[in-house]
Amino acid sequence: MPGLRISCGTAALLMATTALPAAAADTLAESNIKLIEPGESVPVSKIPDGIFLRTVNDPDDIIWARIPEFRVEMGLAPPVHPSVEIRYTDDYPTENLVFQLARTSDRFYVRLRWMDETENVATKRDAFRDGAAIEFSSGDDYVSYMMGSGAEETVNIWYWHPEGDRVESLAAGGPGSITRLEEQPVTGGSEYLTGANADDSEWIVVMSRPLVAEGEHQISFDRETIPVAFAVWQGADDQRDGLKLVSQDWIIAELTPDTGPAAGN
Amino acid sequence: MVKRQLSMVLDLNKCIGCQTCTSACKLQWTNRNGREYMYWNNVETHPGAGYPRNYQNSGGGFDEDGALKIGITPIAEDYGIPWEYNYEEALMTGTDPWLRPNVKPTWGANWDEDEGRGDYPNSYYFYLPRLCNHCANPACLAACSRNAIYKRQEDGIVLVDQERCRGYRYCVTACPYKKVYFNEEISKSEKCIFCYPRIEKGLPTACAKQCVGRIRWIGYRDDEAGPIHLLVEKYKVALPLHPEWGTEPNVFYVPPMAPPRIDGNGEPTEETRVPLDYLKSLFGDGVVSSLDTLREERAKKQSGAESELMDTLIGYRHAEMFKLS
Repeated sequence: MPGLRISCGTAALLMATTALPAAAADTLAESNIKLIEPGESVPVSKIPDGIFLRTVNDPDDIIWARIPEFRVEMGLAPPVHPSVEIRYTDDYPTENLVFQLARTSDRFYVRLRWMDETENVATKRDAFRDGAAIEFSSGDDYVSYMMGSGAEETVNIWYWHPEGDRVESLAAGGPGSITRLEEQPVTGGSEYLTGANADDSEWIVVMSRPLVAEGEHQISFDRETIPVAFAVWQGADDQRDGLKLVSQDWIIAELTPDTGPAAGN
Repeated sequence: MVKRQLSMVLDLNKCIGCQTCTSACKLQWTNRNGREYMYWNNVETHPGAGYPRNYQNSGGGFDEDGALKIGITPIAEDYGIPWEYNYEEALMTGTDPWLRPNVKPTWGANWDEDEGRGDYPNSYYFYLPRLCNHCANPACLAACSRNAIYKRQEDGIVLVDQERCRGYRYCVTACPYKKVYFNEEISKSEKCIFCYPRIEKGLPTACAKQCVGRIRWIGYRDDEAGPIHLLVEKYKVALPLHPEWGTEPNVFYVPPMAPPRIDGNGEPTEETRVPLDYLKSLFGDGVVSSLDTLREERAKKQSGAESELMDTLIGYRHAEMFKLS
């Protein structure tokens, strides 16, 4: 069984419910995972101190079966640059992204999964990679979820590269201002599950960072709520930059010190 | 708008297609570190598909309203995948009877060399050396959502800020000349830098300095005593490639003159062997007066009279061909 060591006190609980992450329904939209609307709040689950992840960013770790999953509808981001505008199509289908937010006493985790018929890992002259990101508002939800609202109202973005599971910690204060931060404390892991049919295949990505922020513009988790948003890039459709699927507006992540692992969906 | 603009003129009547410029550029800049497939400078044969293959039909540039046009990103095979030969096995150890490339060659900097067009005795072709045009209105710059591409104020050289570039490749597609390249090793775009480290030392670009045909002139557009002003503004014999693409290039070409077409009786006609319409399709309508001026000035020089234009185009001294201050 991948990735988990447990203390004696929690073993019985976990052995009683050792289901792997819920098998995908025909589509994520048809699944019974709760759909989160823009502006809604979701809890950040607290992983008890007695549970130790064997591998920090294992997307297949059994702990993820204990963390509630939420679903958000992703649509093509509105174009903010002519290069995006000339490639923008109104009829690009929406997709569903399933996310889980969790923390231990010293680390914050996000796990994302979404259906993707094609595994696009490499970045070539004429080939684009898949990608995923979570965006945190440095302030409240008045900061624009579209890359922030200027130098004083920035966002911190964790951007996952499929090649080598590299995660960049970036800051932005508006479209076109993405900047790679000097400190890079975010790590990640991923898995591409090939389904029986191509459209059953999905990416699962985990990104995590120590709770304590290091360096300027790294998001602080020392707060009760954090507005978050998500983005996914489909490499097969030449998506990069602002050509991406995004969640609409902020979702409010609630950090509470006593949130325990919840039952699976 | 930049303070000054460096510019280059190339006389296609003098280019012999030797690729010395290409080699000079490659050895200086692109023979390593993910750039092996790139030819910031290449010489291609026209009529022909050029480099990368069919770039003239790959879109990009601006429409009549000044809006960016969608373009095509060339695939690896359109540039040509760099290859090595099995010299050791074929020539030294004898373990392979054939000297052969290690990948299947598909295209290159001048793949359709000397094919040209037309039938004997009216077959024709000419060479077209190409580099980044360091345009006054660069499509690559307009296309970059990161503002990573900029024109230097002091000389108008177009550069990619490697710190800001995140490898989106809009620039590769937007440049209608396809002179921005994606480096897969570092996931960033790269292009001709007009040898700015040389320029800053008062030296011409490697391609211009090494040119055995002495076909290239370098100078500032606003230097009325320099060769660029004389060829582009005063005599108007040097023309941009595909001005209709809207990028306002700062590389100009003196179009190729040609002998007359031969009719069915073997007699010369009034038409030139390189069709005027074909040259217009490359350099615009200005090619008509450019060729007229070239013919007049050449006749003048042949008659023993003075011709400032011909003396310039002969390129007696490098010092007069490169005015970098």
